[in-house]
Amino acid sequence: MTSPLWRRIGLSAWMILLACVIGIPLYYIVVNTLKTQSEMVANPLALPTGLFLDNYREVLASPRLFRSFGNTVYVTAVSVAAQLVTGSLAAFAMLIWTSRWNRIVGNLFLLAFVVPGQATLIPLYRTLVGLELVDDLNGLVLMYMGGAIFCYFLIQGYMRTLPFEVIEAARLDGAGSLRIFWHIALPLIKPILVTVGIFQTMGVWNDFLIPTVFISSPDNRTVVLQVFNAVSEFATDWPMFMTVSVVALIPMVIFFVLTQRHIVNGLLAGSVKG
Amino acid sequence: MARQHPYLASGLALAMSFSLTACAGASDDNADGTTTLTFLSWVDEERFGPVVEAFEADHPEIDIEMTFTPPVNEYVQALQTQVLSGTAPDVFLIAAENKTNLIDGGHVVDLSGEDFVKNVEPFNLETYGRDGAYYGLSLASWAGGYVYNEDLLAEAGYDGVPETWDEFLRMCEKLKDAGITPFLEPADGIPFTMAAWLGAKTEGMDPTLDQQIFSGASSFEEEWTPLLEEYNRLFEDDVMTRDVVGLDGQMVLDEFTAGRLAVMPAGGWTVSSILEAAPEMSWSFAQIPGVDGREPYAAGAASPGYAINSASDQEHQEAAKVFLAWLASPEGTELIFEQTGDVTVTSDFEPQVDPHFEPLVDNIRSGRIYLPMIAWERSEDVLNVEAIAQLQRMVTGEITPRQMASALDAKLAAS
Amino acid sequence: MSAIVVSKAHDAATRPAKRRRSGGGWKQIAVNQAFLLPLGAAFVFLVVIPLGQTFYWSLTDFTGYDPDASFIGLANYASILKDPSMLAGLGFTLLYAVATTAVITVLAISLAVQLNKVFAGRNFVRSVWFFPAVPSMAILGLVWRYIFSPLESGVINSVLAKLGIAPVGWLSDDGLARFAVVVVGVWAATGWHAVLYTAYLQSIPEEYYEVAKIDGASPRQQFFGITLPLLTPAIVISTFLLMTGGLKVFDLPYALTGGGPGFATQTITQSIIIAGVSQGRSGMASALAVLFTIAVAALTFGQLRLTRALERRLS
Repeated sequence: MTSPLWRRIGLSAWMILLACVIGIPLYYIVVNTLKTQSEMVANPLALPTGLFLDNYREVLASPRLFRSFGNTVYVTAVSVAAQLVTGSLAAFAMLIWTSRWNRIVGNLFLLAFVVPGQATLIPLYRTLVGLELVDDLNGLVLMYMGGAIFCYFLIQGYMRTLPFEVIEAARLDGAGSLRIFWHIALPLIKPILVTVGIFQTMGVWNDFLIPTVFISSPDNRTVVLQVFNAVSEFATDWPMFMTVSVVALIPMVIFFVLTQRHIVNGLLAGSVKG
Repeated sequence: MARQHPYLASGLALAMSFSLTACAGASDDNADGTTTLTFLSWVDEERFGPVVEAFEADHPEIDIEMTFTPPVNEYVQALQTQVLSGTAPDVFLIAAENKTNLIDGGHVVDLSGEDFVKNVEPFNLETYGRDGAYYGLSLASWAGGYVYNEDLLAEAGYDGVPETWDEFLRMCEKLKDAGITPFLEPADGIPFTMAAWLGAKTEGMDPTLDQQIFSGASSFEEEWTPLLEEYNRLFEDDVMTRDVVGLDGQMVLDEFTAGRLAVMPAGGWTVSSILEAAPEMSWSFAQIPGVDGREPYAAGAASPGYAINSASDQEHQEAAKVFLAWLASPEGTELIFEQTGDVTVTSDFEPQVDPHFEPLVDNIRSGRIYLPMIAWERSEDVLNVEAIAQLQRMVTGEITPRQMASALDAKLAAS
Repeated sequence: MSAIVVSKAHDAATRPAKRRRSGGGWKQIAVNQAFLLPLGAAFVFLVVIPLGQTFYWSLTDFTGYDPDASFIGLANYASILKDPSMLAGLGFTLLYAVATTAVITVLAISLAVQLNKVFAGRNFVRSVWFFPAVPSMAILGLVWRYIFSPLESGVINSVLAKLGIAPVGWLSDDGLARFAVVVVGVWAATGWHAVLYTAYLQSIPEEYYEVAKIDGASPRQQFFGITLPLLTPAIVISTFLLMTGGLKVFDLPYALTGGGPGFATQTITQSIIIAGVSQGRSGMASALAVLFTIAVAALTFGQLRLTRALERRLS
């Protein structure tokens, strides 16, 4: 990565310029949270004339917002951890033992990507009523286990690029499968675990469909649900709607900025490994 | 029904957001002798909570457990799943979108013999009724007319609003000559203009326009084509851009409040937005100008009615009737009006609306409003979806008004 | 390019195929299947059973309100195949899925390669590209409606106005509306897939490039000789996700155009939802969902075989 300085500056300038164009809609959302409705209508893209923070004040005063943050953190943490473990276990099993049976099972799992979500929602709701997991945060976690298939798919693809002889050597040394999985396979797949972890954290945190279906009591609402409930009160107040969305997203921005370092670390680990 | 904004339906209430909120399910007699009634609202807690609290204060023997799901698709989906799973609440709302299924399946109790329906405008009860039975206690209606920016009208030399479509088009020409965008009506639903014209037409008909269409005595082609042709003059005379296909109600409202648009179709729910966004503007509501020599009329419909779950036991049904009777009382309707802004239609309470909206209040309280989808007798949503798509094709000039109307006949025949 | 580099790259790409093998005795198999069990259970519970239920309903006159629907055989399937409007969304759904898959794949790989280089502002650029995938389509659809607004106050049209160009009705013309939906779809997912490719780029050992450089390979030769072949597992996965996601797309066109003008941007999932939710024809919607599942499965598994064959060939 030792390109001449002028080339790096050129790349930097070009990429930042492009990102600014791509980021216009995001700018649009953020800048309008600082405006009143009429100010937004008059000139949606302009910078706000003054620092108007009432939208944020009102949103942050929402009584259940902090409780809903807690709910979302619980659901996101538990379900993403469970998805990653389940998905990587299965991917590992597929890697070390390629039989016809496993190939068939592996292909069957892909059906999960094919079925339109709308087709399974009502049957699942009826099942969860039977399990008494409707309007329960653990019911949400259970629903999100479908994401484990997504994790499995991404991780198994990544494992195909790994040096298999390391695992084989460990097995010849007499290490058990669980030990190999934990001490050898997981460190090797760290870049994809971080990436998939980011994807799923974002996905679960922002999911709207499943919470609206399965949660009813105000105390069990997730952030996005709380946001949408607040929005119905401000149906015509788009700046408010955007503010609520931004508030729900801020933790994700922080999370992404922090985890980005691990993507870079993964890069270093990758080059050492080769 | 103030919440059934066209733009809310399209923008926010993504149908993808199925929301099948679970409800408390079967509620047992409580130890202290009170009855717990479950109620699925489509107005949020902040606004409807005080209504429920006032009821509970008057009736300590009944305890209401309210849950909320936003309209329209989410609500319909939520209720459907609960009815299906046997967990539906004791009281819920019957709306245009679910009335056929709820009535056909026998999921709602007939209210026609109850005292509390006597003060309610018959138009509202009949909207959610069939063969003399009433299945929903609809206590309010919404209406849509035209909103005029009087400042802009004055620039084109007008100090009043037109009564007929010809006058209206002439006024639009003058506005255009003055460099003002005269009129924008989004094509993301059946236009209020068409709804009002159809309403004015059916008022003088017996059997009604829709009875004739659905019995086969007449057809969409016969009844709708002349009106669609009048509507199409907006595009032929270049009074309104064909790009309204890409607009929604919110954008039009924004143009209006920004003072860039002279006339827009709108309902009562825009009053507070206009007052807030354009406090200096002088503006007014009016009925939609008449066509073919008919009177001006308004678009609109009866709000969803409170319905009682037929699967609830006798005790809960009785308690539910107490709740409905209280809602229909002057005290209940007054509070509903205060909290939701919906214009109520009971004879013993007169809501005091914002003066700007006054011109449409008589239409609401006497049931002189019309919305095709709710007046149709069957396949309402199939036809509505088709009508919107075909309307957009007409607006873009792809098909003629007659082709649009006959597409509806074809759809009706196929469904 | 040097033969050594090529053979090394090939070696890396073919590694898994050559070296994986079935292992051990029954105990090994039992442990192995135990590893698969949690995922298998989730799959059966969340996919197989609900899909079975949907298939059953597709053979009934289920309205969505009453579980005791009566059996009507294949009547729902027959009426779907007869009703042209139920399939109105087919054309646009295919167009959207294929166009977004192709465009995003090209853009995301290029972007990932750039993001893998060190430059000032890299984290900022990566975040900006990634974040469109995060907020709900309801709000993004709204923002894009304003951007594409046909009025002079629309974002694009106001820029055009400054250049002296008359306003364009972006969402009121069939072709432009389809184009707009695809553009927003590409905008929303390119960064996400670029992040996925970035993870795979990290598994390419640095010394391949060093050897190639010593041998005098140009950046272009390095890209086509090393990067692209070693990214094929990622391409298989990314295009599969794009294709299945594209065929199932619902919320974006719904939020942006509502399926209009006319039927121009209507998708199949929109038909399913309209039939199932608003029209109380859940039996019909179930049948449509079953047909759709079969069609998507056939299409994407065909595509998967194709990309996997390409993967083997490139190796």
